[in-house]
Amino acid sequence: MKIKLFLLKTAALILMPAFFATAQSVPVQPDEISQSRAAEAWSKVYQVFSHPRCANCHVPDDNLPRWSGPSYGKTSVHGMNISGGQSRIGVETVMCSTCHAHSNSDEPHGPPGSPVWMLAPVEMLWWQQSSKQICEQIKDPTRNGGRTLEEVAHHIQEDELVHWGWDPGKGREPAPYSAKETADFVTLWANAGAPCPE
Amino acid sequence: MQINVNGTQHEVDVDEEMPLLWVLRDELNITGPKFGCGIAMCGACTVHINGQPARSCSMPVGQVSGLITTIEGLGTPDAMHEVQAAWVEHQVAQCGYCQPGQIMSAAALLQMNPNPDDEAIDHAMSANLCRCGTYPRIRAAIKAAAQNIREKSA
Repeated sequence: MKIKLFLLKTAALILMPAFFATAQSVPVQPDEISQSRAAEAWSKVYQVFSHPRCANCHVPDDNLPRWSGPSYGKTSVHGMNISGGQSRIGVETVMCSTCHAHSNSDEPHGPPGSPVWMLAPVEMLWWQQSSKQICEQIKDPTRNGGRTLEEVAHHIQEDELVHWGWDPGKGREPAPYSAKETADFVTLWANAGAPCPE
Repeated sequence: MQINVNGTQHEVDVDEEMPLLWVLRDELNITGPKFGCGIAMCGACTVHINGQPARSCSMPVGQVSGLITTIEGLGTPDAMHEVQAAWVEHQVAQCGYCQPGQIMSAAALLQMNPNPDDEAIDHAMSANLCRCGTYPRIRAAIKAAAQNIREKSA
């Protein structure tokens, strides 16, 4: 009897870890892995899109560029009563190119620049938008410049003004990650069905 | 490199990164455009490139392509631009340091908008600073120049 009891206890001790191991690591479906990786990828894309280097120029229909982020202290609209106007390049007011050259000024607080310098189209609003709002916008061809998500990833990897976000000149914090990494995050997220946060 | 200023072609031997303002003032002795802030925030250095205003203190000369016009090329004492004439008529200048830039910005504004209201003037001219505070006279002179230009083209 004692021997039987001993064998039972031993068997229990051997089998219990296996039971708990099974209970703890419920088999994960490949689809769920993909969804969780997609959500992680999107959260990184959102970090980029909502970063001041990007969002400061993806502004609403007030057409006012923003000055925000660690480089600027308090958040404000662009100084000197500057407006991009409905043209988003300042045709109606002062052309952005009046002060913004094709490259960043090396002077402290000098104007940043890129071969193209303009506000993003008004429907591509990112300024103070939630992750869900930007996610839905970037998937919507009527609000993303008529692009597929593959084209969005390509745009991030190729566009000069987009690239400025990672090379913003002296004294400005660049957007996180890199253009290549961000394009890869978009591709991963898109290939998993481009889920948006709830 | 070659640059065209006020209708004259110049050969300049300078670094492409040199600001246009330095080339104008130090290499070509065209001293109408003034150095104010050096970071495109005050407008004293404003010139036209292909008719568009540009802050020459922050514009690398290697990036300039096209015709450069400075205050010296906008008009002459004998044949003033309408904006220059209105500036004299309204005695806008006090110390005068910012006025070349003010006039160049005003001339560009009237090129785009021949009948600017106060809001349009505020938008176009707010990035041209005047420490003497001649803003009311600037506004009046712009309106006068606009009217003269409209009357002449009518």
